[in-house]
Amino acid sequence: MLNLFDNIVMGFQVATSWENILFCFIGVLIGTLIGVLPGIGPTTGIAILIPVTFGMSGTTAIITLAGIYYGAMYGGSTTSILINLPGESASVMTMLDGYQMAKKGRPGPALGMAALASFIAGTFAIVMLTLIAPPLASYAVSFGPPEYFALTFMGLTLVSTLGGDKPLKAYISAILGLLVACVGIDAISGVARFTFDSMYLLDGVGFIGMAIGLFAVSEILVNIEEPIKQVFSDAKLGLRSLFPNIQDWKDSFGALWRGSLLGFFIGTLPGSGATLCSFIAYAVEKKVSKHPEKFGTGAIEGVAAPEGANNAAAGGAMVPLLTLGIPSGGATAVMLGALMIHGLRPGPMLFSTNPDFVWGLIASMYIGNVFLVILNMPLVGIWVQLLKVPYKVLMPLILTIAATGIFATDNNIFDMWVMFFFGMVGYVMRKLDFPAAPMVLALVIGRLVEMSLRQSLTISHGSISIFFTRPISSVLIAIAMISLFSPLLRRLWGRYRASRVTA
Amino acid sequence: MKKAEMIAGIVLLLLSGLVIFSALQMPPSTSFGPGAGFLPLWLGVLLAVLATILFVSAWRSQAKVQDGESVFPGKQALFAITLVLVGLAVYILLIDVLGYVVDTFLFIMFLVKVVEREPWSLTLKLAVVATAGLFIVFHTLLGITLPSNMFGF
Repeated sequence: MLNLFDNIVMGFQVATSWENILFCFIGVLIGTLIGVLPGIGPTTGIAILIPVTFGMSGTTAIITLAGIYYGAMYGGSTTSILINLPGESASVMTMLDGYQMAKKGRPGPALGMAALASFIAGTFAIVMLTLIAPPLASYAVSFGPPEYFALTFMGLTLVSTLGGDKPLKAYISAILGLLVACVGIDAISGVARFTFDSMYLLDGVGFIGMAIGLFAVSEILVNIEEPIKQVFSDAKLGLRSLFPNIQDWKDSFGALWRGSLLGFFIGTLPGSGATLCSFIAYAVEKKVSKHPEKFGTGAIEGVAAPEGANNAAAGGAMVPLLTLGIPSGGATAVMLGALMIHGLRPGPMLFSTNPDFVWGLIASMYIGNVFLVILNMPLVGIWVQLLKVPYKVLMPLILTIAATGIFATDNNIFDMWVMFFFGMVGYVMRKLDFPAAPMVLALVIGRLVEMSLRQSLTISHGSISIFFTRPISSVLIAIAMISLFSPLLRRLWGRYRASRVTA
Repeated sequence: MKKAEMIAGIVLLLLSGLVIFSALQMPPSTSFGPGAGFLPLWLGVLLAVLATILFVSAWRSQAKVQDGESVFPGKQALFAITLVLVGLAVYILLIDVLGYVVDTFLFIMFLVKVVEREPWSLTLKLAVVATAGLFIVFHTLLGITLPSNMFGF
């Protein structure tokens, strides 16, 4: 316990250096901006800004990128409430009751509750992260290759089944990502694979180019196809009107703690993501409510629950990322890529090899949440004004920032072609409903998947029983198998039920 | 969607064939442990299975009314998307020749004027401000050597 206290103190020493405070602020500011602006999500935002962080130390860089991630969770609620348009996907549920509250003349308390619920749940999640991450990391130190393979396998299957209602397409996307990860020189045997005799591919496919292509460029193409409609809000928002009254707090109390707990724990599962957490929290709240009929007509619990959950999930997602090196979704996969570029190897050893980084990052998240509540409560009017920036101004900016950033990564024009290629791939995938997150996740952890698989099979002389006889890996494989076959089981169950009804 | 999914299934099946073919050329597994071709081979096989499932389930699914329509946008939107992609390709091709500053300036002008059909005043303002901003951030603040033309900028 004393050790934990020492670590937190050290973390705050790192996080309160002027540089880290400044970039934490810049990160949450950009995050809020990205959250507010429809047409650019947190994953895109982080991906295109990774190259900008290259000049910084690893700690400062990740503090900035993490700030963008959880900052976007705050900003997304603003547009959901005021103009019924989610700034990013984790705020879709906030629209249901938030917009109704705004229509009934209470936009202030809805916005205020969204910001305060975000703050409370976000801080709760960081406290949980502080308490849970160190023991989990020290436990995970004993993991060998079979455990790592089981873990990455579970991560890939969960991200595919939890990420949407098209598991088959998600599996295909994950396999394609793993294949892309195979490109380049094989680290064990030194053989060049799938390089098509191009020297640029010997190092493998650039992660940033692929992520920016899949997320940013394809997003731009889709937005050009269906222009984002511009809606303005003329709501008058004084600071005093933002505070929810006592009745609001009473109504939201249960939603807050349930949303925080659900968001954090579901958020720690690889593959869940903030969007899923906000959906579940809303559904649970509606279920336990004494007056579920009020949901969808402007119930403040309907704002508090999803907003709390998506922020708690952002904290929860840091648990597997920092302790195991397994990202939970698209945005954290991109952050994992950034960590590796900065020479930080995520995984259980991170806590002992780079304690200043881990604790500095965690401490910065406490600070960032305070910044965010200030940015989102008194200054919400400014963000509303920002909605007047038309997409036609944003689009060229996003595209050129992305292209320049990619060049800056390696001073390499080839990486720009990687972006171009995956931009087209990503567009076709969006059109055909193939999710991109499993593909990026698979590319980021692909090398780990392959190394751990081959090392395990070398240890066991080729027998796959090694994954089933070791306790931790067998549990993880079991979870993976259940999630892998859950779509099939669900369909069989549905048929069984249907046959019972007709009979 | 039905037709698009069937085509996707066939394309993925062809891709998996290519993957399996090249994986078989890689050094095989030895008694020492799985070789370089091990994972690609199995990924190729898995991909083939999943692509077949995708194709067959799309083929067997009932055609819906909206299946008559393509999932891809109409001519006008497709034209705009093609413009952006061609513009981006030309931008990447010319960046070594024209240098970062000129190339980026022209690319932004192209995006605003040709793709979005905005007036010249906005086009010029945006191109100047964005190019200058990007150059300052990446070149001056981050110290990155951006591509330059024969005149050195």
